[in-house]
Amino acid sequence: MDFNTLIFLGFFAGTAVVYYALPKVLKPLFLLSASYCFYLYKPENARLVTLLISATVITWCSGLAIAASRKLWVRRLFLCIAALTCGGILFFYKYFNFFNSVLWGERATLLDLSAPLGLSYFTFQSLSYTLDIYQKKLRPEKNFLYYALFVSFFPCIFTGPIERAGHLLPQFHRPRRFSYQGVSGGAFRMLWGYVKKMVIADNLDVFISAVYGSANQMDGPMLAAASLLFSLRLYMDFSGACDIAIGSARVLGYDLLENFNAPFAATTFADLWRRWHMSLTGWFRDYIYFPLGGSRCAPTRHYANLLLVFVVSGLWHGAAWGYLLWGLSCGLVQLIGRFTLPARQRIARHNLLYRSSLFQLWWQRSIVYILFSLCFIFFACALYGADTAVVYGGLLTGWADFFREPSLFAGTAAGLGLGGVTGLILLLLTPIILTVEGQGRVSDWIRRQNWALRWTLYYGLAAALLFFGAFGQSAFIYQQY
Amino acid sequence: MKRKKDSFGLRLARRLFLGTKILFKLALLLPIPIFMVAFSYKVDRSGLFQGDLAPRQVVDLLLEGKDVTNFEQMDERQIVRLYTQNLDPDNVPIAMGVGSSRVLQVTREVADTDSFFNLGVTGADVRDVMTSYYLCVKEGKIPQVLIWSVDPWVLYGSEAALDSRADSELYNEFLQQVLGIDTGYEEPDQVELWKALADPAYFQGNMEYYFRNRQGALTDDSGQLIPFTEVQGDPYQQSATIKRSDGSVLYDVAFRSHTSDQILSDAIAQSETFNSLHMEGFTELGETECRAFDAFIRYAETQGTRVILLLTPFHPFLYDTLLSRAENYSGFFQVENWIRQYAEDTGTPLYGSYDPLILDGIKESDFYDGVHCTSEALEKFFPGIWQALEEAYKGITPHVLSLKNRTTAAERISW
Repeated sequence: MDFNTLIFLGFFAGTAVVYYALPKVLKPLFLLSASYCFYLYKPENARLVTLLISATVITWCSGLAIAASRKLWVRRLFLCIAALTCGGILFFYKYFNFFNSVLWGERATLLDLSAPLGLSYFTFQSLSYTLDIYQKKLRPEKNFLYYALFVSFFPCIFTGPIERAGHLLPQFHRPRRFSYQGVSGGAFRMLWGYVKKMVIADNLDVFISAVYGSANQMDGPMLAAASLLFSLRLYMDFSGACDIAIGSARVLGYDLLENFNAPFAATTFADLWRRWHMSLTGWFRDYIYFPLGGSRCAPTRHYANLLLVFVVSGLWHGAAWGYLLWGLSCGLVQLIGRFTLPARQRIARHNLLYRSSLFQLWWQRSIVYILFSLCFIFFACALYGADTAVVYGGLLTGWADFFREPSLFAGTAAGLGLGGVTGLILLLLTPIILTVEGQGRVSDWIRRQNWALRWTLYYGLAAALLFFGAFGQSAFIYQQY
Repeated sequence: MKRKKDSFGLRLARRLFLGTKILFKLALLLPIPIFMVAFSYKVDRSGLFQGDLAPRQVVDLLLEGKDVTNFEQMDERQIVRLYTQNLDPDNVPIAMGVGSSRVLQVTREVADTDSFFNLGVTGADVRDVMTSYYLCVKEGKIPQVLIWSVDPWVLYGSEAALDSRADSELYNEFLQQVLGIDTGYEEPDQVELWKALADPAYFQGNMEYYFRNRQGALTDDSGQLIPFTEVQGDPYQQSATIKRSDGSVLYDVAFRSHTSDQILSDAIAQSETFNSLHMEGFTELGETECRAFDAFIRYAETQGTRVILLLTPFHPFLYDTLLSRAENYSGFFQVENWIRQYAEDTGTPLYGSYDPLILDGIKESDFYDGVHCTSEALEKFFPGIWQALEEAYKGITPHVLSLKNRTTAAERISW
């Protein structure tokens, strides 16, 4: 069941009403049933639901065994069982064909595998639970019902955020009572997410997919525009999905982890990564980067750790060279940033333009955004099936014509879907969204506004969705990971 | 210190307040879905609820009392459907006409009432006649008088008597739902249809269509120009056939100005192709069709509609040609006798005859061609609904059995 369908809204409204009507003892059981119904709605998931159940049962049992044993080898054994289960499922369904073809080339026998939706999310969640118990950060969950709900909780099973047991499980234990502010705030957050996804992301996608779909016929300005807009589109798509997930959980009375914190307000590349897909970067930080030594080791090792985390992050997104190179490029840009930091700081001290803090802020934001977008070309190519070399090579062509006759570019871009409504969305709606998100959580922000502005915004967003939303057009990008 | 528990009344009041607050806030949001649904229903670019755009345009103009251009391009059956659908229930015409193109010359003047609409459609078979009336019943817009111009093929029980343009699904529905005859008809799934109203994508399509058509000429869903507009100028001076606001048809000037030679020439041609008028192999009256004829009239009476039967004449040359080969058209020649007997037996008002010779004052110049007579010709034997009803009430309907059409070759006149 996709978030951006009427069937989901109907399902969710029904679930919320029944949930609040039930006595508290039945609530977790009902939510678990609803989560499995949500998961099983797609026939391809129904076929692979045993994977979800296996991961849940094995990691829960492993958690209990790890906590119960004082012997290190027993603890390690059960940790290995949990890791092999989650890692094995993930590897087999997501990476087997990729590594098989890397190793054997054309001689490789590829299997007909279709990964169940949400695979990367529920395996990471259940694995983090076992790791936390192993590291004694968490007590095991005795009640299987609560744990199964934690692994399969429907708002976050398809697109994240990747929850932590320490954050979500205690909430299942506390009775959730109806809160008007919680429900209205959650509903607004959902509306906000729908607008980001269906109004901004999907309308931008028309232009981007047209350009990347025939990248070899496009010149530099067009490719640059599409690449710059791709970062925005990806953010609106992914953060929109997270808004819907967080909002729907909020309606039910639960708080999920925030996944974004105004990433385009970042003034350094490293800062941007601290604000982007925070639940995943946090996962890698806690379970890969820190165990490898993090930054508390020799600089070479530190840089290698950093690079490794980015490469793994790239691979998490998909078994393709494009994702791997994207991760690598992000890691390299971050490393270069670190290497050049002292020099850049020295230059900045003598930069007259930097005396205007506003200029400095927007300049740095712009540079970070451009670097981020340049790295994401690998990602976009993997997503749209475009040739990376063609796109990067094409970026340098056609600029003379662009400066000679910019109207021609504008006309072509409009023809490819960047005119009219999309232009309006980019110029009016996007700045409003980004500005509000810069103020903190939107559900908190809206509560601080007066009645008139709040209702104007409700109607404005609903109207934008109704008039310009792309209905039934595309699934969320991060749903496939 | 333990907090004192609130009283039941206070808790109830709090819950009621919260419930009211939620309902009020939800009500504030209602205008958005209501607007979406209403707009989609009104514009309805795919014609899911209001019918296709082109016939809708015709019906809108007709209901505004305007004559409409380009009759030849109209989907007449859709127009009948939409007319009955969109007709104001408080302004249902007293009289309506049903039948084929041969009834389309029945105008308000012929019917002798301003409250008249002609539901006739070109090539109408028995199914068209019955479904046209059934649509009126279904929509709750039932006329008090139904002028049925009975075409001979109505009593012919063969596939040849049927017109491919007729709505067989609606006819099956009529037979099953109204007359209780099992046709295997299944009611269509209305839920799927109504889902479109809640579909924002359909709303957006309607929005785009609405703004596209707000300026300039009207186009259909695929962007094609809708060719139906209000008739400008004198309707009697149009170069193309038009549909009058009373549903009748006014042929173009050239057709109406045919000389008697041209009319005769048309009649000769049509006498050679008479079988193509749903008459191929018509030698016997269909038993089922005769029963359906009776059942339909009885059904109309149960709905409070008085049926007036009209037999519109064929061109004298054409009729005589048929007489000369009477053995080939035995079914055709039985129809009028059967209907006359039926009218006599049931007291149903009946006017006219297929045989032009037995009608007072009908001349060759009263025809446009072999099968279509003029409004003036109709006025010669049909006195209008008021007199027809009065005569029926008094039981003095003339000429029902006193008139007898010619049925043998011996009775023909030579040309």
